[in-house]
Amino acid sequence: MSDTPKSVNLTTARDATRRAFMTSAASGLGAAALGSLLTRDGMLADDTNGDDQFGGTIGTHFPATAKNCIFIYLAGGTSHVELFDPKPRLTELTGEPLPDSFLRGEKRLSFLDMKKSKLMGSRCEFKRYGKCGMELSEHLPQIGAHADKLALIRSMHTNEFDHGPAEIFFSTGSSSPGRPSAGAWVTYGLGSENRNLPSYVVLITGRSPVARSINWGSGFLPTETGGVLFRSQGEPILNLASPAGVLSSAQRAELDAIQALNRERLNAVDDSKIADRIRAYELAFRMQVAAPELIDLKTETQKTLDAYGTERDGVEHASFANNCLLARRMVERGVRFVTIGQRRWDHHGAVAKGIRHCSNIVDQPIGALLTDLEERGLLDTTLVVWGTEFGRTPVTQNSDPDKNAGRDHHRFGYSMWMAGGGVKGGKVVGATDELGWRAEKDPVHVHDFHATLLHLFGMDHLRLTYRYQGLDFRLTDQHGKVVKQVFS
Amino acid sequence: MNRLPFALTIITLLSATPAVSNNVVGGEENVQKSRALPAPVDRAVEFRRDVAPLFKRRCTRCHGAKKAEGGLRLDVAKRALEGGDRGALLVPGKSAESLLVLVLTGLNDEELVMPPSGKPFTDEQVGIIRAWIDQGANWPANEANTEPSKSDHWSFRPIVRPEPPRVKQSSWVRNPIDSFVLAKLETKSIAPAPEADRGTLIRRLYLDVVGLPPPITEVDAFVNDERPHAYERLVDRLLSSPRFGERWGRHWLDLARYADSNGYEDDKYRPDAWRYRDWVVSSYNNDQPYDTFTVDQLAGDRRADATYEAKAATGFHRMTPSNEAGNPAVEEEYRVKTAKDRLNTTGTVWLGLTVGCAQCHSHKYDPLTQREYYQLYAFFNSTIEINVDAPRLPEKYYEAYRKAKKEFKGHINNTPEPPSAVALTVAEGLDFRQTFVHVRGDFLQKGVNVAPKTPAFLPPIKVRERPQGEARADRIPVVRDVDRLDLAHWIVDPQHPLPARVEVNRLWRHLFGHALVRTPEDFGVQGEPPTHPQLVDWLAAEFMERGWQRKATIKLIVSSATYRQSANARPEIEERDPQNRLVARQNRFPVEAEVVRDLSLSASGLLVLALGGPSVQPPLPAGLTEQVILKDERFREEDEGDERFRRGVYTNVQRTFPYPSLLAFDSADANVCSTRRDRSMTPLQALTLLNERAFFECAQNLGHELARTMLSQAVTTNVGASDGGVNGSAIRKCIKGAIHRCLSRSPTSTEIDILVRLFHQHRAIYNSAPDAAAKMAGSDAVPDGIHATDVAAWVGVARTILNLEEFITRE
Repeated sequence: MSDTPKSVNLTTARDATRRAFMTSAASGLGAAALGSLLTRDGMLADDTNGDDQFGGTIGTHFPATAKNCIFIYLAGGTSHVELFDPKPRLTELTGEPLPDSFLRGEKRLSFLDMKKSKLMGSRCEFKRYGKCGMELSEHLPQIGAHADKLALIRSMHTNEFDHGPAEIFFSTGSSSPGRPSAGAWVTYGLGSENRNLPSYVVLITGRSPVARSINWGSGFLPTETGGVLFRSQGEPILNLASPAGVLSSAQRAELDAIQALNRERLNAVDDSKIADRIRAYELAFRMQVAAPELIDLKTETQKTLDAYGTERDGVEHASFANNCLLARRMVERGVRFVTIGQRRWDHHGAVAKGIRHCSNIVDQPIGALLTDLEERGLLDTTLVVWGTEFGRTPVTQNSDPDKNAGRDHHRFGYSMWMAGGGVKGGKVVGATDELGWRAEKDPVHVHDFHATLLHLFGMDHLRLTYRYQGLDFRLTDQHGKVVKQVFS
Repeated sequence: MNRLPFALTIITLLSATPAVSNNVVGGEENVQKSRALPAPVDRAVEFRRDVAPLFKRRCTRCHGAKKAEGGLRLDVAKRALEGGDRGALLVPGKSAESLLVLVLTGLNDEELVMPPSGKPFTDEQVGIIRAWIDQGANWPANEANTEPSKSDHWSFRPIVRPEPPRVKQSSWVRNPIDSFVLAKLETKSIAPAPEADRGTLIRRLYLDVVGLPPPITEVDAFVNDERPHAYERLVDRLLSSPRFGERWGRHWLDLARYADSNGYEDDKYRPDAWRYRDWVVSSYNNDQPYDTFTVDQLAGDRRADATYEAKAATGFHRMTPSNEAGNPAVEEEYRVKTAKDRLNTTGTVWLGLTVGCAQCHSHKYDPLTQREYYQLYAFFNSTIEINVDAPRLPEKYYEAYRKAKKEFKGHINNTPEPPSAVALTVAEGLDFRQTFVHVRGDFLQKGVNVAPKTPAFLPPIKVRERPQGEARADRIPVVRDVDRLDLAHWIVDPQHPLPARVEVNRLWRHLFGHALVRTPEDFGVQGEPPTHPQLVDWLAAEFMERGWQRKATIKLIVSSATYRQSANARPEIEERDPQNRLVARQNRFPVEAEVVRDLSLSASGLLVLALGGPSVQPPLPAGLTEQVILKDERFREEDEGDERFRRGVYTNVQRTFPYPSLLAFDSADANVCSTRRDRSMTPLQALTLLNERAFFECAQNLGHELARTMLSQAVTTNVGASDGGVNGSAIRKCIKGAIHRCLSRSPTSTEIDILVRLFHQHRAIYNSAPDAAAKMAGSDAVPDGIHATDVAAWVGVARTILNLEEFITRE
């Protein structure tokens, strides 16, 4: 592993050097130094190149195009039929039953009763966006404005059709809990770029995805690779603020005493793990300053706030906008992986209304995020993903195709998109059949998507492995192929 | 796609020869891809000359000793004649019905054409094989095709008790463990580490055996106890404490994937899971021998004399996550998933093998075929979930219910549920379910039918004598052949090479921080070999000879000189043995999540020691419930009073959202069988210890304690008159006591100086901030007669000590 080429921009510190540094840092860093660190870290923007960041264990296998990822996780199952995959033939056949040939004897369906379910064309209009003329929903105008930057995959498919297992599968490549999430793998491979913040942060609007922390967990990887849940209101990290009564000068004095006593013990027993603990306390202390600064939007202009819509009506509208803006601030500060979660898309009924409402929540902030990243020169190295665990059935869920009709979970074919971080925009990858039922042309399995994601980060999904219980595990299990069309 | 049994397929094929047509789905395609069956060659065929070379060149790389893809081997007559996971390969005398010929010609289902790459067999070659089969498939015996010995891997060999080796420095040896360790050290000319001092030893023993810090009085008594066997008496006392079961039971709960919720989407509260937890704790406390401990958990329900306890033990199988999506389409899928989880967990826990790897294909490294996996699976395939009546709860729970009910009167919703009194158990279903190999691990693709059976590389299973009318009383059908109870007996048969080794290895790990086999979950070919192979075997033999008693075995280990070594680093051998594989010293490592909690509560005097009962919900960080849905109300209702200060082992375990302060310290992932925990060092841990409500409360309580001590020692405690003199020495004395109390040792003068300086800094800071001082001190319980500024300063000192690396480290 050590002799694989590294790309210039990425953290490559390996464990050994990290250990060596820690030991020296521990003995060299006195109370005064700690204090000065604190002052210096009041301004963090250019403090992302310290040599003591949490080191990636693997590094890159080949030059990376992406350094950071903003993973927008719209759980519940976004409808490709309404949003991304226009099917005139489906509209024509509205009200008809699904031809048996499409089912191919499949018995693993969710709640569908095929006798009652009818084909139903998209309940939204499609429009052409960008120079490329990509067809997207009328409800996604602001995302559509970036069509030339999107690689839209219309041939996603997955193994699972119940939320829990499907989310876990989509996040970890396995439908049973226990494996590391994709974000944890990336963090494990590349490490952190910021020594004041966690390398993987999770932001949630409204309801959390159902599998909660498993979606961003570290599985069997080291704990620090897992996502740290930031809260969008109040304290951004659990237990970040000192308890009432602990004045900052007192906190300083106590921390100095803790570190001084820990160093005494280090001298007495000579265990390098004490140095690790000393460092963890230093980072915690820095986070107490850095994290509130991170979520403090005072330094943002009103124009930016308005562009994202952080003051829009509606709790979820404002929260989602806020999270998109926070994600940009995190990427700016070197946070490796940010997940923005929202779970609103499980439209078993009244899909037309639901899609309109949900699109309205996410379209403006995501559009603004893409614009903002581009203007700041961050989009080239920041991968943005519209992710969801499955799509929705081109048939109604056991009803007539009226305005109350909804769609069931659908795993055979659905859509997602990627942008930035080396993704080639303005293109559509793959296709479903004429009814939007099954990924037919260039199918992209969840494993393939994961392989592609790692590839953009300069990592070979076959070589990013971790030995656990006697086996070398990968994010892509025994599968996965890189979808080159996404970036070439 | 082809889900018909092969025999049927073959008949179908034959009746329609030569143009195969009315087959199953995809039959038409097959016709295009396949070809007519080539005629057998018209001559006498000799296996060794004509057939064996073909197999060797084209087949045995995948179907040989190393891989046995599809459970099939073509290098051994017996195995080839048995066939693979899809069924019989050869029908002697009938080549057109033989699967081998069909797959070679593509006349079988479309996915199965052999060889999978390279040129297909020529008509001439198929003709040779047909002729060989038609002529009786004669496979002459010779040395090349007898089956090689099952496996020579160390852990599959019988346990033979080794003689402790001779050593030079025999005066160091306290028991045979030391001989094994010392012999190895002597070959490297390394001396063992000196014995740790008594303060360290008592803290180590307390943390290892009961998971709590030793009380000061105990430390002093032990340090000054000059009578012989002081150490042994201490060990005996700790092993007989009920705290032992809480501590070691928690280790077992990691393996059992214990949780108080169901997992998956809804992750509902599982109100009766704790009955299993209590069973585990009391089993440890009663020193139930490991063999019956095992049998009860795996098959207590099948015992003729099954008591409530034996049934509650099968809660082990009920600790699987369960998906309640309410979707009939996946019911069978999850039933299968659960049964596999039971088998895989059993495999990891007792066999130390990654049996789960053989679900989709034969194990890549260990001699476990896919078929054998499903033969093991058959033991679990008819198992059903059933709840049995459990003993009534203590009266207080019913009182609380009655009270709540009264308060809720008039509300239609949210009527409180009466306390439940059942235990989660398993039983055999009334319908015996046939088991098939799942081709490629897919339960919908049925392969060959298999019966319950244990793998060939391990000793054979014995069928127990069935007493007349066994289990009939319960209307439980007598399972054919062998059942889960036989499997359980097989596991704890003294002839079985694995379970004793696997368990003593875990005991060792909990007492040294590292195991002798450093992959406790994998004793297979891919696992690490033991650092001390003979010691593992000696301990395993000893364990069984002592009647599988864990307390005795733990006592044996902690009584060794090896265990009593100092954990301090040894720079002179660091380079030669950086991971301390030679055990040339003890290890220093952070305590587990629950112990972090228990330590703080205990050192600050808040810990409530009550044994067993329903799990509790200690306070959650403020605002948490708003964002991440704690789906079930039970997880949002914080308990009050004493229940807030129970030991960590009693904290509710919610699978999808573990209790934050335990999670921060790497508590086990309750979704899977967990054989070793992470030992991370993260800033979130620092934030938790510094700022989390419960931990700060501990600091406050300890601060009050210190303030009271100072009051009792000093004549005056006026602010400003604090330097030197009576007061100064009282402060030093107090600090000394605090360190003593939390770290079980005396502080150095530098350490005291650091904390004295802190105390004065705090006095100065809080002297000018009385409001903050009141908050820091915690207004409700400020001891009378002490200035709030002093209390605040003591809280600061306490918070500092409770955050020390050493405090949460076992040395």
